[in-house]
Amino acid sequence: MPARTAPPGQAIRCQHLSKTYRGGSGEVEAVRDVTITFEAGKTTALVGSSGCGKSTVLRLIAGLEEPSRGTVTIGAESPAELRARAGLSMAFQDASLLPWRSVFGNIALGLKLARRSADPDAVHRLIRLVGLDGFEAAQPAELSGGMRQRAAIARCLVSMPELLLLDEPFGAVDELTRQRLNEDLPALWAAQGATALLVTHSISEAVLLSDRVLVFSPRPARIVADIPVVLDGSRNFSWTQTPEFRAEVENVAAALRSGEEPSAIAAQ
Amino acid sequence: MTVGKAQPRPFVSPAAIRISGLLALVALWEGGAQLAADSFVLAGPGDIATHLFAERGLILRALVVTGWAAFLGFVYGNLAAVVLAVIALAAPRTERLLGLLALLIFCLPLVATGPILRVLFGTGTGPQITLAALAVYYTTFLALMVGLRAVPGSWSDLERSFGRGRSAELIYIRAAASVPYFVAGLQIAAPAAFLGAMFGEFTGAERGLGVLTIRAIGQLDVTATWAIATVAALVSMLVYGAVGWLGRRIVAAPPELLLNPLGTHVVPKWRAALWRAGFAFAVIILLWWGSMEIFALNRFFAKRPDDIWSFLLTAPDAASHRQALFGALWETFVLMVPGYVTGLALGAGLAVALVLVPALASTVLPVAIALRSVPIVTTAPLLVLALGRGALGTITIVAIMIFFPTLVACLRGLRQTPGQIVDVFDSYASGRVRLLLWARLPAMLPAFFASARMAVPAAVLAATTAEWLATGRGIGSLMALTASTSNYNMLWSAVVVLSALATLAYLAVEQVERQVLRVYASEQIRR
Repeated sequence: MPARTAPPGQAIRCQHLSKTYRGGSGEVEAVRDVTITFEAGKTTALVGSSGCGKSTVLRLIAGLEEPSRGTVTIGAESPAELRARAGLSMAFQDASLLPWRSVFGNIALGLKLARRSADPDAVHRLIRLVGLDGFEAAQPAELSGGMRQRAAIARCLVSMPELLLLDEPFGAVDELTRQRLNEDLPALWAAQGATALLVTHSISEAVLLSDRVLVFSPRPARIVADIPVVLDGSRNFSWTQTPEFRAEVENVAAALRSGEEPSAIAAQ
Repeated sequence: MTVGKAQPRPFVSPAAIRISGLLALVALWEGGAQLAADSFVLAGPGDIATHLFAERGLILRALVVTGWAAFLGFVYGNLAAVVLAVIALAAPRTERLLGLLALLIFCLPLVATGPILRVLFGTGTGPQITLAALAVYYTTFLALMVGLRAVPGSWSDLERSFGRGRSAELIYIRAAASVPYFVAGLQIAAPAAFLGAMFGEFTGAERGLGVLTIRAIGQLDVTATWAIATVAALVSMLVYGAVGWLGRRIVAAPPELLLNPLGTHVVPKWRAALWRAGFAFAVIILLWWGSMEIFALNRFFAKRPDDIWSFLLTAPDAASHRQALFGALWETFVLMVPGYVTGLALGAGLAVALVLVPALASTVLPVAIALRSVPIVTTAPLLVLALGRGALGTITIVAIMIFFPTLVACLRGLRQTPGQIVDVFDSYASGRVRLLLWARLPAMLPAFFASARMAVPAAVLAATTAEWLATGRGIGSLMALTASTSNYNMLWSAVVVLSALATLAYLAVEQVERQVLRVYASEQIRR
């Protein structure tokens, strides 16, 4: 879709990744000894109970947090090196739009921050893709939560990064728009060749959007299941009506349930 | 990126750095005083300590007198603020008018109201307490209004869904939500009460730190001037810290208080605005005239609106009155405006520079907060001693009066940038300068304009104080002179013109601020 060709996505290697927060009320271990490789150009969903540490894993991979132990390598680079050449882009749980910029201005900001030249056509294409046509000049305060979230997703995509980190980006989006985005966005980031990591609470969304689902235990986050998503045919909404899709969803749900049982975690 | 080591403990603790810095500053102060021993400008910490020890009885008694007046004014002023806020909330249509009246009274120049109150009250602590109350009520009123509005709409909806009315909403939701803001307002108000009480003592009181200050300035006693200023400054900082400490016992996490403008953010059409202004003007005239008639105040010193009208417009020598008044006003204006602009520019500029060096900002902020609480009446005599009685002295006093609050507000404003927006910039490794220009600076603008607005009455106070205590020029000097010669027509005229202009300037900055808020804090406006 976009005129510019994105560089291919990179594989991500996490080695013994751990994170412990130290505060006034003591220590909180958020992530424990995560060792995993994310394949280049593939989409992986991270699922787990609320507050289990999935978002922290994403922030560690982005280099927004320093791990207490362990390493992250993206291709041959550190997260800081990848960020320095604007190779990654992240959508947060909160839309985090600048309140003084219009929808267009906020999405175009993704290009400016990535030190890319202005590309109004690309911005308009993404506005159409996320269903915000007609709201180009609107301020964030004039939008609903879901519309803001869609603008944030567009900002994340506009710079065509090699690595996409999506932290519950569809949380506030209405169901119909969510279905449309679930069909359109994977095609977009697949065309870009980006490696994508998606944190979500929706198991069906995780199965629909990703090539692989990682199930995390309750805090501290540890990987309790690594489930490849087997796809025969195209990744679209009609697939979600098939028994195969439902079987995949049940597979992930079972892993999630067993991961929340202390005995299952202890057995890992 | 391999991390696994614990962060090394700093070789020197931040507290040790602060104490060393403070000791270095005291040493520098003493060294400077020794070098300038013959200049009659600067007294060193050694001389000040010796003076304080020798005069400890006198100074302690004066401190108790001033402190008690300040405390009573603090209580009365804050009670008045609570009453005003409750009325404004209970009857929202009165908010603009109440706000305007409160602002007008806040803009009354202390240099003139002090002598008028002295005539009204005679000797005693009446003027001190009244001026202390006048110095505190407006900021607390604004803080309370911010707090009472800081309630998500869903909370009110929840309360209404249980079938409860406005009074329950006020008691159970808004009052509780406003407590943190009220506490933050009280903290700002505490040193202001001290300033008001000292001002009251300047106008012919018998005892108190203000009386000692006036005496020391009159006798050109540099050591005594510095000693009293040091005591007043330390007490103000102490009171500020103590109220803050008490506040933290009541409220676990006090909010960053931004004194937003009152009323709706919808700009009325010009016809409606004119109608409102006319109505407010009529109410002000009626209150002025009515209060004097009700209390049967002597017309010799308690001038009515028609006295001022006649003095400035219809009397045979009205032209010469106007010439004297507006000539003095112009003298003040040409020094006050550069001081105002310089104070704002330096405060905002330093805040921006400090944000690029975060370690330095965290050290400067507590110092600036402490210095912000030092009353102008204590620093003005020192600055006059140091800079002389010329234009530079007045400009510097005005600039310093505005500099510290602006620095504190802007530093806090720069920190208001939401963490997730900072994360967005960090995820692109966009650097501190881009983050500053594209996110932090725009996020700072509401705080900057709130500070610029509140700085208007502060600039008037600083300029008139400097003129009164030192330069002998401008409208501050004119008011002091006419008060001492019982020329009450001129004194009241000066009060009316200066208060009106200060109020208009405040409202003008507020209009610009509203436009800025509309763009840069649209979420806040929609609340």
